Amino acid sequence: MSEGENKMLTLTETTCGTLLNELQIIWEEVGESDTEKDRMLLELERECLEVYRRKVDQANKCRAQLRQAIADAEAELAAICSSIGEPPVHIRQSDQSTGSLKAELRAILPQIEEMRKRKSDRKNQFIEVNGEIQSIKNEIYGGGYASKDVAVNETDLSLRKLEELHIELQALENVKCERLKHVHEHLNYLYIGCSVIGLDFKQTVSDIHPSLGEPEGSKDISNGTIEQLRTAIQRMQEVKIQRMQQLRDLASSLLELWNLMDTPIEEQQIFQKVTCNIAASEDEITEPGMLSADFIKYVNAEVSRLEELKVSKMKELVFKKRGELEDICRKTHLIPESDNPVDLAIEAVESGAVDASCVLEQIELQISKVREEALNRKDVLEKVEKWMAACDEESWLEEYNRDDNRYSAVRGAHLVLKRAEKARILVNKLPAMVETLASKITAWEKENGVYFTYDGVRLLSMLEDYMTLRQEKELERKRQRDQKKLHGQLLTEQEALYGSKPSPMKNQSAKKGARLSCGGAATSRRLSLGGNMLQTPRHDMPPPAKATPVIRNAKKTERITQDSLKEDGFQILSGRRGLDLAGLPANQHSLNLLNCRETESPMMRKPFSPITSTDSSRSNATKFLGDLNQKHNDMMPKMLTSNNTPFTTPSKIISAAEEENRMPQVMATPVPSTPSTMPIPMHLAMTPMQKPLPSATMQIAITPAKSVDEEIEYSFEEKRAGFVLPRSHLVNLMQVL
Amino acid sequence: MASAPPPSTGRELLSPPTDGISNLRFSNHSDHLLVSSWDKSVRLYDATANALRGEFMHGGAVLDCCFHDDTSGFSASADHTVRRLVFNYNREDVLGRHDGPVRCIEYSYATGQVITGSWDKTLKCWDPRSSSGQDRSLVGTYTQPERVYSMSLVGNRLVVATAGRHVNVYDLRNMSQPEQRRESSLKYQTRCVRCYPNGTGYALSSVEGRVAMEFFDLSETGQSKKYAFKCHRKSEAGRDIVYPVNAIAFHPIYGTFATGGCDGYVNVWDGNNKKRLYQYTKYPTSIAALSFSRDGRLLAVASSYTYEEGDKTHEPDAIFVRSVNEVEVKPKPKMLPNPAS
Repeated sequence: MSEGENKMLTLTETTCGTLLNELQIIWEEVGESDTEKDRMLLELERECLEVYRRKVDQANKCRAQLRQAIADAEAELAAICSSIGEPPVHIRQSDQSTGSLKAELRAILPQIEEMRKRKSDRKNQFIEVNGEIQSIKNEIYGGGYASKDVAVNETDLSLRKLEELHIELQALENVKCERLKHVHEHLNYLYIGCSVIGLDFKQTVSDIHPSLGEPEGSKDISNGTIEQLRTAIQRMQEVKIQRMQQLRDLASSLLELWNLMDTPIEEQQIFQKVTCNIAASEDEITEPGMLSADFIKYVNAEVSRLEELKVSKMKELVFKKRGELEDICRKTHLIPESDNPVDLAIEAVESGAVDASCVLEQIELQISKVREEALNRKDVLEKVEKWMAACDEESWLEEYNRDDNRYSAVRGAHLVLKRAEKARILVNKLPAMVETLASKITAWEKENGVYFTYDGVRLLSMLEDYMTLRQEKELERKRQRDQKKLHGQLLTEQEALYGSKPSPMKNQSAKKGARLSCGGAATSRRLSLGGNMLQTPRHDMPPPAKATPVIRNAKKTERITQDSLKEDGFQILSGRRGLDLAGLPANQHSLNLLNCRETESPMMRKPFSPITSTDSSRSNATKFLGDLNQKHNDMMPKMLTSNNTPFTTPSKIISAAEEENRMPQVMATPVPSTPSTMPIPMHLAMTPMQKPLPSATMQIAITPAKSVDEEIEYSFEEKRAGFVLPRSHLVNLMQVL
Repeated sequence: MASAPPPSTGRELLSPPTDGISNLRFSNHSDHLLVSSWDKSVRLYDATANALRGEFMHGGAVLDCCFHDDTSGFSASADHTVRRLVFNYNREDVLGRHDGPVRCIEYSYATGQVITGSWDKTLKCWDPRSSSGQDRSLVGTYTQPERVYSMSLVGNRLVVATAGRHVNVYDLRNMSQPEQRRESSLKYQTRCVRCYPNGTGYALSSVEGRVAMEFFDLSETGQSKKYAFKCHRKSEAGRDIVYPVNAIAFHPIYGTFATGGCDGYVNVWDGNNKKRLYQYTKYPTSIAALSFSRDGRLLAVASSYTYEEGDKTHEPDAIFVRSVNEVEVKPKPKMLPNPAS
């Protein structure tokens, strides 16, 4: 090729030379002047130079452009390097290495390209980080935080800056995490709280921020939300504490009521969880619904139910107590104060105006007062009862005396006869009774400074009334007797005159009966009148005659017994059969007598030891004995048969009883002989062996050797167990004996 | 009386106590029988199956026992203790103690309390529900005039018979004072006291073959109904032998009652009509205790020497359970249409 170029050059040169030659030829032919020729040649030469100069200028310009481009590129490179914070990669070593400018430019261009790429990468990174920071900040500080920082500062994209941003991002992320945790904690707490006080958690939370209610997805963590959460929790806590207080109050009242009313466990069980939390602190109560409004309402309902129950019970109690008070008053024949504060209070309780408990207290007080008074009056009252009963008996007797058929042999007549006999004795004792009663009452009145009232009436005046009535009756009776006598005389006279005696004085007796019945009715009416007025039925009163023991003078009894024995010993012994018929009380008597005869008996009974009778039937028997001894002995069996209580409580024979209480073996022989002589129908029916036997023995014959033991009874079991009473007791017992 | 004659003594229970029987009682819920004995044991029998169902050994002779419910009971022991026995687990614990041997024990369904009477002259009430420990379970101590010999309760009434022929009647709702203080109508030592099932009174037996029928009602009409009668006696070769009446048991339905004496006889009486209804054939030795089952169809009889004549050789101790024929216990009203009570 170079050959070709050269050839071309040479060709060009030849062309120029030939052209010049040709021109010279032409000129020669034309014959141009030399000047012309010269001028022509100069012009040619100037034109040629011009062309050259233009071309050089052009080339020069091009070169300058090239240089500019390179410089530009280098500048850009440097800028990029500096912005991304790297040392400039391209340090001008081009002077030596690469020759031409174009090559230089070519070399620099890819470098620029790469740096640009790196820069844009870096920038993207920045944008990304910034975006993240921005979004976190937005989350934390709310949407209001504008994106002013979004434009990345192009000038500083260095790694260091990036690092800084990363750190910032990290910090923000931490903050976010922290807050998220915080929010979760709050939510948890809120959840538990809501469940305890029975609120809808979702609703509550959604009100604060909709995102919180979602089970999934990010939660709002902005300051506002957290603040709201906090206040919500605080509010909830307040509610909780308030309700807890409420519940605690309810629980304590529940416990109190249970305690008061002995509520069954099953009923309590339902509210056990309420009461067991009574002492729990606020955060110990975690059971769902424990503090819900419904639950509290429920408990409240229970409390009010119990409360009502209590009130009704209290009322009941009050009424019962009042009943008791009235009862006591009635029993003791006291008139309760009429305008009693209690009555008023009870009305108040019924209307619910006053607390029942205070009324109860009042009534209690009253009861104790009345009780005290009753105790004070008891002594007199007992006597009054006896007197009343005697009066009853008296009026009965009067009525009975009026009965013409009283001696006819109807079934049960013997019972009536016996009663009449008893009544007569009682009536005889009435004046003395009244007297002692009156003296007792006066003593009482003197002591207490008030009148002794019986169902509101002064007792003393009642007695006086009774006495005057009695006297009147006495007079009446006397008058009747006189009249009868007179009548008798009249009859005798008539008889003397006309011979025969008119038949019995029927009209007379009828008259007498009528009159007496008036008196009797008056008495009974009077006596029962007071009772009726004050609503004390007479038959309510315990009949004092037999049931209430009458302490009799031991000495008197003894005397009677001894007297009777002395005077009528034979009769009594011979009348033993009859006495036995009368059953145990009489029996006992005969036993005593028997025992004193049977001196060979190992029993250590002292004959005729003082006997205190506490049983009136017994005493009656004794009295009968005494009476009868003075009267007709042949009446005795009859009288005693009419005494138809075979086994009344045996008399309390103080010393004798003690001896009788000893173990049977000690008393061996005489014992059964007595019971065997008792031909009471019941025994005939029930007891197979009946024959009276002269000497019977109990087959139990363990006689303890020790003399002390002989004094004390022991059961078989005690003997078997070897049980011995402590010494101190023995001494006491000895002293008693 | 067309029915075939019942077996003479009834069926004898297997494996009886080895020493004197102090008491036996049927349960209120089943035909289980609780037996206390001087051999320091309390035994539980199934009377229908004739089987021993449980046995508890104590530190001393057991003087009385009673049921709590069908699964537990109480015992009174001469070692001064009061024990609670749980049959299912064969467990026992001490409810408390007295200062002397404990003679009688009763469980009150009305108050849920156990009541014990002792020779230390006291009555004690216990709450069996409270945890063990004397100070916890003891409800109250009530001094008696003498050593307690027998006790019975009906409803809220408790009758306590002691030595010295004292009889105290309590209202369980107010134990501070006896409701009534009485003396036995009988002249000799009290052996046994039992309340009428209708709650109007009690029967009391003495060592001298006699039983008194008493009434709580203190009015004249009430007291006029009381009486006493003789029983458990024998005349032999011109000598009258009188035996102690150890046991009384009321029929739960008819209100008639059986008495058992040291003569080995069991008699059935109709207290209202004052008649003896039946006498069972003689048992080998003294009748120590009697109990009717809850429906009155069975009668448990403890034939066991009661030491009335001291230590001597005697017949072996045995428990007989006999089925009760209606004619033996049903009252036969005589011409009186309305009997006293």
